Amino acid sequence: MLEQVDRVLREAMNQIVVLTAGFLPGVLVSLVLVLATFVVAAFVRMMLMRGLRGLEFDRWAEQAGVSGLVGWSSSASPTTAVARSAYWIIVVLGLLVSLTALNATMPSRLAFSVFEYVPHLLAALMILVIGAVAARFLARSVLIEAVNMQIQSARLLSLVVKWLVLMVAVAMALDHLGIGRSVLLLAFGITFGGVVFAAALAVGLAARDVVGRAIERQLREPPGGDDRVNHV
Amino acid sequence: MASTGSNSSAPAADAATTRADILVALTSHNDARTVGGVVRAVAGGLSQYFGDLSAQVVLADGGSTDATREAAREALGGAGLVELEYPLQPALADVPYHGHPHRARAVRAAFQEAARLEARACVLLDASLNAVEPAWVGRLIGPVLAGRAEFVGAHFVRHVHEGALTKGIVYPVFRALYGVRLRQPASSEFGCSARVAASCLEQDFWETELAPSGIDLWVTTTAVSSGYGVCEAALGPRQAAAREAATDLSTTLAQVVGALFTDLDHRVDIWQRVRGSTPVPLVGEDPDAGSDVRPMAIEGLIESFRLGYRELREIWTWVLPPRAIVELRRLAAAPPEQFRFDDRLWASVIYDFAFGFSQRVMPRSQLLRSLTPLYSGWLASFVQELRHATQAEIEARVERLCQGFEAEKRHLISRWRWPEKLR
Repeated sequence: MLEQVDRVLREAMNQIVVLTAGFLPGVLVSLVLVLATFVVAAFVRMMLMRGLRGLEFDRWAEQAGVSGLVGWSSSASPTTAVARSAYWIIVVLGLLVSLTALNATMPSRLAFSVFEYVPHLLAALMILVIGAVAARFLARSVLIEAVNMQIQSARLLSLVVKWLVLMVAVAMALDHLGIGRSVLLLAFGITFGGVVFAAALAVGLAARDVVGRAIERQLREPPGGDDRVNHV
Repeated sequence: MASTGSNSSAPAADAATTRADILVALTSHNDARTVGGVVRAVAGGLSQYFGDLSAQVVLADGGSTDATREAAREALGGAGLVELEYPLQPALADVPYHGHPHRARAVRAAFQEAARLEARACVLLDASLNAVEPAWVGRLIGPVLAGRAEFVGAHFVRHVHEGALTKGIVYPVFRALYGVRLRQPASSEFGCSARVAASCLEQDFWETELAPSGIDLWVTTTAVSSGYGVCEAALGPRQAAAREAATDLSTTLAQVVGALFTDLDHRVDIWQRVRGSTPVPLVGEDPDAGSDVRPMAIEGLIESFRLGYRELREIWTWVLPPRAIVELRRLAAAPPEQFRFDDRLWASVIYDFAFGFSQRVMPRSQLLRSLTPLYSGWLASFVQELRHATQAEIEARVERLCQGFEAEKRHLISRWRWPEKLR
C-alpha cells in the first residue's frame, strides 16, 4: 500500500518536475523579453525625443496643424507625445511577443491577431495625419483667398472646408480599420448629401438674387474687373 | 525639358547678319494691336539717333495666336526684322501679371542673340506698349554706347496709385538692399551692355518657377549687384494695352513680391554689406503726369485691410512680432480720415514677411497672398495722403518711405544673422 502511494507520489513529482522543466525556459525567455522590451522602448523613446527636438518637430507640427488638431496639452508637446506613443507601442508588442514564448495557446492567438492588425492601424494613423495636414492647408488657402475676395464669411467657409476634409479622412481611416464599415458609409453619405442639399436649397431659395447678380457681374466684367489699376 | 537657349534658329534674314552694334528686342504675346507702333517708333529712333551704327531689330514672340508677327513684319517693311525662335515655357498654373507667359525665355533668347551679334548695346521693349516714342531708343541706348552706364533702367511718370506695388514695396526694398535709387527696377523696358547681358546669361534663374514674372527685376539686380554703372532714362508715362487673362491683385502681388523675396534670399551676402543709397543719373526730363486720372476709392481698400486684420491676424502672427500686431490693431480701429500706415511699420512688415518667406514658415504662396490686405491698407493710406499731391510731392513722399526702409534694414540684417534669437 505504502509502496503504491510512494510510487504514485514519485510519478506525480516526476511529472511536475518534467512539466516545470519544460515550462521554465519559456518563462525565463519571456522574462528576458519583457526586460529587453522595456530597455528597447526606453532607448527608442530617448532617441526619438532627441531626434525630433533636433528637427524642430514641435514647430513643424504646429505649422502643419497636426498639434492643433490633436490638441496637445502644454505639458505634452508633439515630440513627447510621439515618443510616448512609440514607447507604449513597443511595450505592448514586446509583452505580446513574450506571451508567445510561454507557448500558451490563447495569448499566442491574441498576439498574432494583434500583429496582423498593426499595419492597418499604422495606415489608418497615416491617413489621419495626412488628412489633418491637408485640412489645415486647404482651410488656410480658402481663408486667405476668401479674405482677398472680400468675402465677409471667409472664416465660415474655411471651417466648412476644414471639417469636410477631416470628416473624409476619419471616414477613410475607420473604413480602413473595418470599423462599422456599412454604417459609416451610410452616415457619411447622408451627412454629406444633406449638407450639399441644404446648401443648394439655401442658395436657390434665399440667395437666388444675390447669386444671379454675382454671375451677371462675372459675365459682364473681365477678370479682375474691379481692379483696373496697374499696381506694378 | 531640355535647357533653353538654343534660340536663334532664325530664318535667312539673320543668318546674313553676323554683327551689329545695337540689338533692339521686342517681346510680344498677342500684341497685334500695338506691336506695329512699337516697331515704327524703334525704327524711327534708330535712324534718328544711331543712323551711323549697325542695328538689328528682333522680335521674340511668345507663341502669339493673333497676327502679331505679321503686324511687326508689315511695320518694318518686310525686311530687317529677325524673328527669334525659342522653346516656349510649359503651361503655368498662373499667368504672369504682365500677361506674357514666356517672357523669361524671350529675354534669354534676346540676350543670346545679342551675344551672337556681338552687340555693344541691347534694348528690350515690351510690344504691348501703346505710346512708344523714338526718343526712348536714344535714351535707353545712348548712355551704354557713350560708356556712361552699362544698365539703363526705365523711369516712367506715374500717378499716385499707379505702380503702387513698385512705389510701396519693390523700389524701397530694392533701394535699401542694393543702395541704388533705381525707381522702376522691375520694368520690362531697359537697355544694357553686352557685359550685363553676358552676366545675366550666366545666372541660374532662367528656369525657376517665378522667372516668367520676375525676370525683369532679376536682370536689374544682376546688373546692380555685379557693380555695373547704372542710370535711368526718363520715358514719360507708360501706357500699355492690357493683355488677356489679367491676374487679380493677390496673384500679382504674390508674383512680384515673390520674385523680390527670392532675389533677396539669394543675394544675402551682397545686400548685408550695403549701407545707405546713392542717386542715379537721369537721362532726359520727365514730362508732367497730367491730371486726367480717375480717383481711386479707398473705402474698399480700408475695408479689405480690416477684414484681413480680423481673419488673417492669426496667420500674420507667424511672421510679425506682437508689437506690429498691436499697431495693426490700432490702425484697423482708426476712422477712415485718420487712417495712416506708418512708414517704419510698413517697412518692418515687409521685412518680416521676407524673413518668413526665406524661413518657409508656411507655404510661400499662402504667405505672399496673406500680404494682400496689408498692402491694401498701405495703399489706402498712401492714396489718401497724396490725393491732391503734385508729382514732386509724390516723389518726396516716396523718398520719405524709402528712408524708412533704409532705417529698418538693420532689423532685417539682425533677423538673417540671428534667426533663433528673433523667432
